[in-house]
Amino acid sequence: MATADSTASPAPAGAPSPLAGAEGLRTAAPSTPLYDTWRRLRRRRSAIYGMAILGALILVALFAPVIAPYAPNTVLIGVEPVRPRDNPCIHLLGCPADQPQHLLGIDGNVRDLFSRVVYGAQVSLFIGISTVSFAIVIGVLLGALAGYAGGWADNVIMRLMDVLLAFPALLLAIAIVSVLGPGLRNALIAIGIVSIPAYARVVRASVLSIKEQDFIAASRALGASPWHILFLRVLPNALTPLIVQGTLGIASAILDAAALSFLGLGAQPPTPEWGSMLGQERNQVFTAPHLVFFPGVAIMLTVLGFNLLGDGLRDALDPRLAQVGIKIR
Amino acid sequence: MKRSHSLMRLAGILLMAALVISACGGAATAVPPTTAPTQAPPTEVAFAPLTYEAPDCDYGGNFRSMEAVDRYTVKFTLCNPDVAFPSKIAFSAFAINDSDYLESTGGGGTLVESPNGTGPYKIQEWVRGDHITMVRNDDYWGEAALTETLIFRWSSEAAQRLLELQAGQVDGIDNIGTDDFEVVENDPNLALYPRPALNVFYLGINNTVAPFDNENVRQALAMGIDRQRIVDNFYPGGSTVASHFTPCSIPGGCEGEPWYEFDPEAARTLLEEAGFPDGFETTLSYRDVVRGYLPQPSVVAQDLQAQLAENLNITAEIVVMESGAFIDAADRGELSLHLLGWGADYPDATNFLDYHFGAGASAQFGDGFPDIQEALQTAGSLSDQAERNVHYAEANNLIKLHVPVVPIANGGSGLAFKATVEGAHASPLSNETFRVMQIPGQDTFVWMQNGEPAGLYCPDESDGEALRACEQINESLLSYEIGGTAVEPSLAQSYEANDDLTEWTFHLREGVKFHNGADFDANDVVTSLAVQWDAAHPLHVGRDGSFTYWPGLFGPFLNAPAE
Repeated sequence: MATADSTASPAPAGAPSPLAGAEGLRTAAPSTPLYDTWRRLRRRRSAIYGMAILGALILVALFAPVIAPYAPNTVLIGVEPVRPRDNPCIHLLGCPADQPQHLLGIDGNVRDLFSRVVYGAQVSLFIGISTVSFAIVIGVLLGALAGYAGGWADNVIMRLMDVLLAFPALLLAIAIVSVLGPGLRNALIAIGIVSIPAYARVVRASVLSIKEQDFIAASRALGASPWHILFLRVLPNALTPLIVQGTLGIASAILDAAALSFLGLGAQPPTPEWGSMLGQERNQVFTAPHLVFFPGVAIMLTVLGFNLLGDGLRDALDPRLAQVGIKIR
Repeated sequence: MKRSHSLMRLAGILLMAALVISACGGAATAVPPTTAPTQAPPTEVAFAPLTYEAPDCDYGGNFRSMEAVDRYTVKFTLCNPDVAFPSKIAFSAFAINDSDYLESTGGGGTLVESPNGTGPYKIQEWVRGDHITMVRNDDYWGEAALTETLIFRWSSEAAQRLLELQAGQVDGIDNIGTDDFEVVENDPNLALYPRPALNVFYLGINNTVAPFDNENVRQALAMGIDRQRIVDNFYPGGSTVASHFTPCSIPGGCEGEPWYEFDPEAARTLLEEAGFPDGFETTLSYRDVVRGYLPQPSVVAQDLQAQLAENLNITAEIVVMESGAFIDAADRGELSLHLLGWGADYPDATNFLDYHFGAGASAQFGDGFPDIQEALQTAGSLSDQAERNVHYAEANNLIKLHVPVVPIANGGSGLAFKATVEGAHASPLSNETFRVMQIPGQDTFVWMQNGEPAGLYCPDESDGEALRACEQINESLLSYEIGGTAVEPSLAQSYEANDDLTEWTFHLREGVKFHNGADFDANDVVTSLAVQWDAAHPLHVGRDGSFTYWPGLFGPFLNAPAE
C-alpha cells in the first residue's frame, strides 16, 4: 500500500514535505509487513532465545537418528554391561573409559535415556503441531462463521465454545480420553478439541472488527460472494492474532499431552514421550533422579521456547506495542 | 435477541419436562424390595439348628451339606475327600458373620461398608479414598490387641509410602520399592522385613482369543520369553525364576517337569508351524499396581513387549487398566495376554492350581482343560501327600503342555516398619496381624499398604489389599499362625474328620460375641457359608456378587445360574 501511495502521488520536486524523512527511511529498506515483523522480532531478546531453543529442538527432532547413539526402544540387556537405572556416564567428566558412555544414564528398562529424550523431541513437536493445526482448522472455521454470519449461528457456536471453555482444559481432555480410550492418537484428539474455543474466539473477534471496514464494503459492492469475502478478504487480515495464539497454543498442547501421558492416558509404552517417561519413573525420584530430571528439563525447555517466541511474536505483530517498543530501545 | 429469548424459553420448558420425567421415573423405579429372606429362623431362645443341603453331588461342587448339630457344633459333609479342607476353611474369604446382621443388610450394601465380625478390631469409620479406622474390640475372646486404634492408609506410589514412613507419618508400609531395599537397610530408624516369595507372577493367556486358541502359539510364548532376564533386572533380591506355577515351598508344588528353557529358535519354529511365521498383533494388559509378585508392573510389561517383538516378532500393544476393572475383565475372559500373579492364601497346592485351573475356575484363561481338572480333582481328594504328588506332577506337566499361563517369577518383597515397632512381622500369606504390633507408649498404629480395599465383606473380595483389612475384623473357623502358614484354632476350638476325609466336624468356641453384641453359634457358621455356596440364596449378593474364592476352592456354586 505504501509504495502504491508514493507512486500514485509524486511529491513536487524540491518541496520539503513533512513526510519526506519517513519516506526516505522506507525506501532505504524494502518494507513488507513480513519484513517489518521480522525486524521487530529480532529486536526482542526473549524472542531470539525462543527461536534459538526451537531451532535446536527442530534440528534435534529432524536428525534424531544421527544424534542418538541407540534406537529409542533398544534394550541394552546382554548388549552392554549396564544395570537398570544406572547413573549417567560421561567419559569427559571422569567416567572410566572402559564403561559404556551414556550421557543421561539408563532407564528402568535398561534403555539409553539420552536416545529416548532425543527421539522424544520428535514426538513432542508432532504432538504440538498436529493438535494445534487440528484446533486451528476447526476453530477458525467456527469462529469465522460465527463472526461473519452473526445472529443465531453466532449464538449457537459461541455458546458451545463457552461450554467447552467452562471445563478445566486438562479435566475435559481426561474425560474425552476416558471415553475414547487411552493412547497417543486419542490424547491428540482430546487436546485438539479442548483448544478449539481459544482459536474460535480469537478469529471471531477479528472477523467482527474487520467485516465492518471499508474495503469489505467495497468488495461487497463489487459483487463478491460472502464466501469470497470471508476467505479471501476477511480471514487473511485476521491471521495476526491467530499466529500468536497458535505459537502459545503449541506450548500448552505439549504440556497437556505430557500431563496426559504422565497419567498413563497419552502416549503408551514404549513410545519415548517425555511425559510418560516422567510418569513411569516417578517412584525413583530419590534413588534415580536423573530419570525424572532430564525428561522434565526437556519439557520445560520446549515449552519455554514456544512461550518466548509467542510473546515476542505478539509484541512484534501488534503495531501499537511495536511503536512503543522501538522508541524505548 | 428476540430469537434467543424464545430459545431460552424453549430450553426452560425442556428442562422442566426433563425434571418432571426423571422425578416420575425415579418414583416408579422405587419398587418395594423383593420377597424377604426366609432362610434362617430366629434363634433367640431355643436353638433351632440349621441345615443346608444339596440334593445330590451332581451340581459339580464339593459340598454336600452343612449342618448345625447343636449350638456349638458344625458338621460339613463333602462329596469328595478334601485333605486341604482345614487350610481352606481357615481362609479369610470364609469368615463367619452374624446371621441376623447378614439378613438385616440383605447380603450386600452396608455389609460391604461396615463389617460386623468377632475379630480383635472393629471398624470405626471408613473415609473412602483416605483411610480406615479400627478400634480395639475389648470383648475379644483371645488376647486383646496391644494398640487401641489401628489405621489403614494406602498409596500406590512406593516412593510416597517410604517417604511417609521416613517422616514418621506411618508406622509400617507394605511392598517397598525394588530400589529402596538398600535405603531401608541403611536407615537406623527403620527395619526391613523380607517376605518369602510364596507367590507367582505369570503371563496369562486366554485360549478363546485367536491366535491363542492354537496350542503351538501358546507353547511358543512359553519358550520365547527370557524369564531369567526379567528376574535378574527387575526383581529385588530373594526372587527366583518360577519353575512351576506353584512355588516350590508349597507341598507338591514343584512336582513334574520344570518349565521350558528359553529357546527363541524353537519358539519361532513353533510359530511358523502354527502359521504365523511373521508374528501377529495382540494386546498385553496389566494393572499398574505393585504387588509382591510384580514390583515394577510397567517396566516388566515393557520388557515383555520388547521380548515378544524381538524373540517372536509379536507386536503387543500395552493396555494399562484400573485394578478392579482389570480383575473383573480377566475373570470374564475378556483379556488375551495379561500380567497377573497370585500370592498364597494358604499353603496348599489347591490354592494355586484349583483356583486357576480347577473345574470352578473363572474364564480368565478361556475354556478349562478337562485333563488338568481331572488330575487336580484326584489330587485334592487324596490324603497321602506322596500319592497327591503323583497327580500334581501330572497336573503340572499338563499345564506345561497346554500353557494356559507362562509362570515367570516368584517375587521377593519387603515390608518396612519403624525400628521401634514390637511384634512386627512379614507374613508369607500377606496377612500381617496387627493386634500383636505396638510401639510402646503409642495408642495408634498406622499401616500403609498399596491400595484401598474395594469392600470389607471379604467373601466377595479376592484382592489381598481388602483381605488384609478384613482379617483384622472378621475371623474364620480356623486361622493361620502369625507370620507363618500352619493352621490354628480360631472360632473353632477343635475339629475332626472321618477316615475318608468327607465329614468334618468343628467344635466352636463358646461365649464369643460379634461386635454388635450378638452371640456366635453354629447357625452363624452355616448361614455365612451357605450364603456363598448357594447362588440362589437371597443373601448371595455381596459387592459385585462374584464370590470368586468359593468356586475356586470348593467347585461350582449350588444352583449356579445356567449360562
